[in-house]
Amino acid sequence: MGPLFTASDEWSFVIALVIGIAFGYLLESAGFSSSRKLAGVFYGYDFVVLQVFFSAAITAAVGLLFFEYFGWIDLSAIWVNRFYTGSAILGGAIMGFGFVIGGFCPGTSACASAIGKIDAMLFLGGFIIGVVIFDAFYPFYEKFYKSGNQGPIKIYESLGMNREVFLLLFVVFAIFAFVATAYIQQRVSQKSKKY
Amino acid sequence: MSNTRIIKKRYIFMAFVLIGLALLLVLLPEKHASKQLKPEQLLQEINDNTRYMTTDEVAEKLIYGDAYLQLIDVRSADNFQKFHLKGAVNIPLDSILNKDEKGNYEYEDILNQDVKTNVFYSNGTVYANQAWILLRRLNFKNNYVMKGGLNRWIETVIQPQRPLQTASQEEFYLYNFRRAASMFFGGGSVSSVPAEDNTPAPIIKKKGGKKEEEGGC
Repeated sequence: MGPLFTASDEWSFVIALVIGIAFGYLLESAGFSSSRKLAGVFYGYDFVVLQVFFSAAITAAVGLLFFEYFGWIDLSAIWVNRFYTGSAILGGAIMGFGFVIGGFCPGTSACASAIGKIDAMLFLGGFIIGVVIFDAFYPFYEKFYKSGNQGPIKIYESLGMNREVFLLLFVVFAIFAFVATAYIQQRVSQKSKKY
Repeated sequence: MSNTRIIKKRYIFMAFVLIGLALLLVLLPEKHASKQLKPEQLLQEINDNTRYMTTDEVAEKLIYGDAYLQLIDVRSADNFQKFHLKGAVNIPLDSILNKDEKGNYEYEDILNQDVKTNVFYSNGTVYANQAWILLRRLNFKNNYVMKGGLNRWIETVIQPQRPLQTASQEEFYLYNFRRAASMFFGGGSVSSVPAEDNTPAPIIKKKGGKKEEEGGC
């Protein structure tokens, strides 16, 4: 089974649009257009973000490995981004601060803007200004941005583990995270009820 | 309050399903068939010539001591004993797909890796090409073929033919490289050919006499 559409195919924009709409619809359905819900993960009263993304990740990972086993997909043909250590750490920190301060991440801000939330529109505006500033001063930090290039490395490769064993451990860890966060969420909500 | 009460039953069910599926992936036997190259893609790769490495390229890598070059002689062990290129290993074509007791390909460590560049050669190109096709079908990577094989190696590197006087400068450069390579591999003599064309430069005759009047007074 070959690729249904290649990157150079004129249909790829249409497919991207359809996938984008589906993704936005699912984000909205999961309640990700609410900044209170999104920021809840940092305050311990709502872990739906973690639960949704973890379950999506493990379902997709298990599904993809089965697809590969049955020969329906060639995983070696999938593009994996390069891992730049420096920019991953700094970028992760900036993203985290932006998330906890603004209550959105880039995708959810677009989703919430689409349903008319003004805070999300402001967030999206700031996001676009940030992109423009980043682009304008790119030569100043290009060296740092590209430092520590480790190539398209995967976690199980860097740990020297078998891919399937790593996935099993990851699934167990994700399920443990569900239980732990559900427990924390209940404790926090009980505590807030007391006051 | 127990955790089971704060997590819905359907989530517990889904958690067990996911763990079960992930466990199944660990226990499933490794499937080699799914890794094979599709016939259409193989045909496409056969038709493009990117798998070929010229004898000059191989000679250059050997001279410069390229640590990433791995020459693989696919001829029989007898022929290999009689003559082989420097640093080559012998994997005869008829044993290239040999398997060990566990069912793995015996030579997979050499033939399917991403560190060294494997270059197959035989007397001509046919057997080396057959080895390449068999291994590409198994989706083994980093394998190339020395075009023309040892016959071409002798013609070009060991006993290079002097180009005609009218040949281009590039051909003379190549010839000089081959002469040097021939000496390196113990095949040729010391004489060399200058890169420049020895034919006398054409004499440009200047127009003699007075310049023609260019008008004016």
